[in-house]
Amino acid sequence: MNGGFRALEEKVFDRDLCVSCGACVSLCPYLRSWQGRTVKLDDCDLAEGRCFDYCPRGRVDLDELHRKLFGGPYKEMEIGKVLNVFMARARDSVWTGKAQNGGVVSALTDLAIKEGIIDAAVLTGRGTNLLPKGHIATDREDIFACAGSIYTSGPTLEALNRGPWNGDERIGVVGLPCMVLALAKMRTSSLETQTPIDRVEMVIGLFCTWALDYKSFMAFLRERFGDLPIGKVDIAPPPERLMKITAGDELHHIPLDEVRGFIRSGCHVCADMTSEFSDISVGTVEGEEGWNTLLVRTERGEELVKLAESQTVIESRPLPGDKLSHLREASLLKKRRAIDAMRDRGGLEEGYLTLSQELIRQIQSESKEGA
Amino acid sequence: MSIISQDAPGKTVLLMGNEAIARGALEAGIKVCAAYPGNPSSEITGSLSGVADEFGLHVEWSVNEKVALEVATAASFAGLRGLCTMKQNGLNVASDFLLNLNLSGCEAGLVLVVADDPGALSSTNEEDSRAFAKLGDFPLLEPATFQEAKEMTKWAFDLSEDLGLPVLVRTVTRVSHARGNVLLDELPRLTKKPLFDTSKPRVALPVLLNHELLRDKLRRAGEVFETSPFNFFRGPEKPELLIITCGSGWMYSLEAVINLDLSERVGILKIGTTWPLPEQMVLNHLKKVKHVLFVEEVNPFLENSVKEFFAQNCGDLGVKRFSGKASGTLPDIGELSPDIVISRLQDILKVSYEPLPAEYALRAKEISAQLVPERPLGFCAGCPHRATYWAIKNALALDGRNGFVAGDIGCYSLGMGPSGFSQMKTLHAMGSGAGLAGGFGQLNAFGFDQPVIAVCGDSTFYHAVMPALTNASYNKSNLLLLLLDNSATAMTGFQPHPGTGKTATGHEAPILDLEVICKALGAQVEMGDPFEVEGTTETILRLLQDVEGVKVLILRRECALVRGRTQKKLFNMEVEQDLCLGEKCGCNRLCTRVFKCPGLIWDTIADRAGIDEAICTGCGVCADICPSLAIRKEVV
Repeated sequence: MNGGFRALEEKVFDRDLCVSCGACVSLCPYLRSWQGRTVKLDDCDLAEGRCFDYCPRGRVDLDELHRKLFGGPYKEMEIGKVLNVFMARARDSVWTGKAQNGGVVSALTDLAIKEGIIDAAVLTGRGTNLLPKGHIATDREDIFACAGSIYTSGPTLEALNRGPWNGDERIGVVGLPCMVLALAKMRTSSLETQTPIDRVEMVIGLFCTWALDYKSFMAFLRERFGDLPIGKVDIAPPPERLMKITAGDELHHIPLDEVRGFIRSGCHVCADMTSEFSDISVGTVEGEEGWNTLLVRTERGEELVKLAESQTVIESRPLPGDKLSHLREASLLKKRRAIDAMRDRGGLEEGYLTLSQELIRQIQSESKEGA
Repeated sequence: MSIISQDAPGKTVLLMGNEAIARGALEAGIKVCAAYPGNPSSEITGSLSGVADEFGLHVEWSVNEKVALEVATAASFAGLRGLCTMKQNGLNVASDFLLNLNLSGCEAGLVLVVADDPGALSSTNEEDSRAFAKLGDFPLLEPATFQEAKEMTKWAFDLSEDLGLPVLVRTVTRVSHARGNVLLDELPRLTKKPLFDTSKPRVALPVLLNHELLRDKLRRAGEVFETSPFNFFRGPEKPELLIITCGSGWMYSLEAVINLDLSERVGILKIGTTWPLPEQMVLNHLKKVKHVLFVEEVNPFLENSVKEFFAQNCGDLGVKRFSGKASGTLPDIGELSPDIVISRLQDILKVSYEPLPAEYALRAKEISAQLVPERPLGFCAGCPHRATYWAIKNALALDGRNGFVAGDIGCYSLGMGPSGFSQMKTLHAMGSGAGLAGGFGQLNAFGFDQPVIAVCGDSTFYHAVMPALTNASYNKSNLLLLLLDNSATAMTGFQPHPGTGKTATGHEAPILDLEVICKALGAQVEMGDPFEVEGTTETILRLLQDVEGVKVLILRRECALVRGRTQKKLFNMEVEQDLCLGEKCGCNRLCTRVFKCPGLIWDTIADRAGIDEAICTGCGVCADICPSLAIRKEVV
C-alpha cells in the first residue's frame, strides 16, 4: 500500500509537488535539503520508505488520520476539529515587535519551555541569505531569533529528524500545515519510526494559504532591493492584497500579484489552511492588526493556553462571529481549489487525498456559495 | 639485472612481447628512447628505463607523444639511433610532427613502435594505426611472434638508416602482452659522438621535391621487402584456400589450420612487411589460388592493399574470390581469435570440427563463477577518485541544474560507470574534457545553464590540458577544472611525470608545480583533499555557483596503490554492526550498494556491512559516508 523513494520521486518530485517541509530529510543519505529544495542524491530502491510514508504530498487519508489522532472520522471540513476558538496577543512586547501579528506563537513556545512542558522546540530559523532551516530552540534567545516569517517554506522537520537529541527530551514543533500533516503521518506510520515523533508533546500549527519558493523569491528580492538587508515581511489581507517588506530602513509595498508567481507549485494542492492536526493553530485575524486567531484542538493545547492566560503571557478575547465565518470561508475556498488542482494533476483519482465523495461534493458546493 | 639486458648471445629466454621489442632496440644499439605511457605499449620504454644507466641510454617519459617523437628524432638527426613508443591514440598526437618528418627524413635509425589495442581492452578506441603508414608513406612492420618482435625491431633500425626514413613497427595487445621464447643476440656497445650535420637541414621544404624523394624511398622499401624473411608461406603448392595474414592473425590462422588438420588444403601467407606490399611475392601466391581469406586486426588494411594490387593485375590473375572483413566473413570490429578463424574455415571448406563439448564450457563457467568473485570495472579500494566523484555527484545534485562531467583519459575515465556514479558524460582524447568544458563555458550567452565540470589527471594535465586551460583563460570562458592529482600516471603503471620529482630512470627531477602553472595560465586555483568529501562538495558548489571565470580545484591524494606500497594505512576501519541499519529504510546499504568501495563487503550472515580487511586501504572515507556512523575509523 505504501511506497518508497521511487514513489516519492514519481508522485511528488516529478509532479513538482514537494514543499520542502523536511519530513523526508535526515532520515537517510539519499535526500538532502539545499537552498529551499529537497534534493535526491542517489537512487534508493526500497519498496517502502519513511520518505514517502511521511510526505504530506504523498497519500493522505484524512478519515484514517482523524480516527487515529482524534478518535473519530473527518467531518469538520472547514477548519478541522476545534475545542475552542478565540483571538489573542502576547503581553510582552518583545514578541509582538518581531513576530507576526500578535506574537502568540513565540510567547506560547517560550512559556512551554519555561514551564517544562517541553524541553526544546523545533522552529524555523533563517540562515545566510534568509535561507529557511529547521532550528532547535531551547531558550528565549533561540525563540526570538526564529520569530517572524518571510513566507518562504523550508525544511523545518529536518531538524526534528536530525536532532541532535539526547533521547529523553519532550519536544514541541511549530510548523506550517504541510509540516503538521507530516507530523500526523509520522505519528500514525506503521513503519519503524526511529524518529523522535513519540516525544513530540506540543504541535503549534500556523495558518497558511501558500508559501513562496525560496530561490526564485530571493532572486526577486535581490533584483528589487539589491544587497539591502531584508527585515520584517508581512502580508496585508484583503482588501489590501499587499506584501509589506522592510528592506534597509524603508517599508515597501508590493502587490501580492507580483509575488504569486513564486508560490510553490506544491502549495496549490494543499487542502489545509489551519494546520488541522495541531494542538493549537495560530493565524492572523482579518482586520485586527496585532492579534492572532487561536484554534485550540486538543486538551494539551487547551492546558497550555489556559496556563498562558493565567500567567498573563497572552491576553485573549472571543473571536467575533464574522471573523470566524470569514476564516471558515477562506479555509473552505483553499480546500476547493486544492481539490481542483489535485484533480488536474490526477492525484485525486489515484487516492492521494482520500476524502469521501460526499465531503468533496460538499466542499465544492459550499465553498462556491461562500466564495 | 634486467631480463632484457642479459649479455648472453644464443640463449633463449621467456620474454613478454614488449620486452622483446625493447631487447631488439638494445641489440640495435639505440641511445635514446622517448615515450608517453599507454597500454599496451608501456612496458617497452618501461623496461628500457630500467637498463638505461647500465647501457648509457637516455630514456625518458615525455609529457606527450609528439614531444616524445621529437626527442627520439633529435637523436636520429644527430646520428644516434632513437626509439619512440606509444599506443594507438598517441600516434594521433604525434601525427602532426610525423607527417612532416616523412618529408624531412632522418639520419640514424629511427623507429616508432605503436601498440594497437584491438577490442579496446584498455583504450577509448580500437583505432588501426596502420593507416598512418599509408597516409605518410612509412615502411610498416608487424611482428607475429615474440622472436619477430625482437628481430623486426632490430632490423627496423637498419632499414630506417638505409632509407633515411622512420620505420613504423605496429604491434597489438596479444603480441605485446603475451610471453614467448626469444633467442638473444649480441648487445653492441657503441660509442659515437652525436653531431647534427648543418649542411643537411631537416626541413620538409621544398615539399614536392621531398615528396618525390619519399616516394622513391617507399618504392625501395617495397623492393627490400620482397626478400624479407618476415614474409613466408606455409602450406601446399596449390592450396584450395590461401590465408593472407599478419601480426596476431598468424598465430590464430596457424592454430586453426592445425586444429582442423587442413595443412594439406590451406596455405598461409604470413606477411611481416605490410606496407608497402611485397608485390611480386603476393602476385606469385595469388596466381596459385582461387580463394583468399584475409585474417588481420582491426581494419581490412592488408585486405584492401592486396585487392588494390589485384585490381591492377587482374588481367593476368583471372577471377578470384576474396573473403575477409569486406565480404562479412570475419567481423570488422574487435579482436579475432583462433575460434573465429576455425569457425570460418569450417564454413568455407565444409569441414566439421568438434572442439570441446558444449557442456564443458557451461560447466567451466559455473565452476569459475563459484571460485572467482565478481569484479565489476571500477576504482580500487581507497581510490581518491571514488571520493572525488562522490563529491561531484552530490555537488551536481544539490546544484540541481542537470550538470555533468566532461572527462578524458585516465583511471578517472571510469567516472562514466557506476564506480564514478555515472557522472562523466563526455570522454574522448587526453585533455578533451577541459577543452570541451571551455567550449560549454562559452554557451552561457546562448542560454546554456548546465554546470560543467572538467576533470583531468596530473599526468594528463601536462600532456594536453595546458593548451585547453590557456585557451579558456584567454577567451574568457567559464570553466571549472578538477585536477585529480594522484601523483602518478596510475592507469598505465605508475610512470613518473613532471609533477613527481623523478625521471623515467629514477633520477631526481625538478617538480613542475601544478598550482603555479595553473595560476600562470590565468586560473583561480584552490587546493582540496578528496577524502574531505563534504568540504570538497561545498567547494565545488561554491566554485560552480559563485565564482566566474577559469577555476582549477586541485584535489590531491596519492593513488591508493602507490600509497599502499609506501605508507601505512591512515585508519583502521571497523563496522559497528549494532549501529548498522542494513537494508532498512534509512540507509538501504548505501556503502555497498551505492558507494561500492571494494573494501566494503556485505556480511550476509549478520545482514550488516563489514570491512574486507585484506582489501581496505584505510582511507576513512566510508566512515563519513555512513549515515548511521556505524563505520568507525581509528587513526593507526
